[in-house]
Amino acid sequence: MAAFEYRQALEIRDAFRRQGVRYLFIGKSGAILLGYPDTTQDADLYLAKGPANGEAIVAALRELGFSLTGEQAAEIVRGKDFVQLKNGPFDLDLVFAPDGIEHFEDAYKRRVEVDGFPVCHIDDIIASKQASGRAKDRESLPRLKAFRDYWMLHNRQ
Amino acid sequence: MSPERAAANIPQDWLAEFEAAARRPLALRMKYSFIRTYKPVLDDASYRSFDTMEDYRRWCRENLPSWLGYGRV
Repeated sequence: MAAFEYRQALEIRDAFRRQGVRYLFIGKSGAILLGYPDTTQDADLYLAKGPANGEAIVAALRELGFSLTGEQAAEIVRGKDFVQLKNGPFDLDLVFAPDGIEHFEDAYKRRVEVDGFPVCHIDDIIASKQASGRAKDRESLPRLKAFRDYWMLHNRQ
Repeated sequence: MSPERAAANIPQDWLAEFEAAARRPLALRMKYSFIRTYKPVLDDASYRSFDTMEDYRRWCRENLPSWLGYGRV
């Protein structure tokens, strides 16, 4: 599979908008949208949990070309904390309960819009990586925190 | 700490990278940022789901090679 492309991010944005999905870009892909220069493999989305959003997510994913079985679609609607998709045109991680963030609505209020992409605030991205406690996140945190200081100076949010 | 003081502590090489990225349009930033590398085990299934993040962390700990960095420290 080829690397995730800007065109595909636009497709997510447009399909999710059409289906009314409530979501935010999070993780390193979110930081990259904010301007953070680093590498990653797939896109991470933070999604509001609940049957209505779940139905909208499934519809949007199918529109994008993900091959979801009936059981997989039902799982997304019923609600999981984490779903990893590699059965579509690009890899996608669906996170419904990221470490370090209590409520989707709070994160949504703090979101930043970048070219129409709803993105978690840099402080929420850092909080999530800190709380995950993963070795790869711990290693990248000092540079991400430095970017936070740069971003706050230039964006004042 | 004020944003100005905090930003003054950014190492010069990182600052240069942040400023260079800020000059690039989003499409180019994404082109430079998203790469494709095979990750053993993690990339070997087309779909996985976990009821809780704790279940996911446990699965990572028990199934992924430690050098991938998904284990908790």
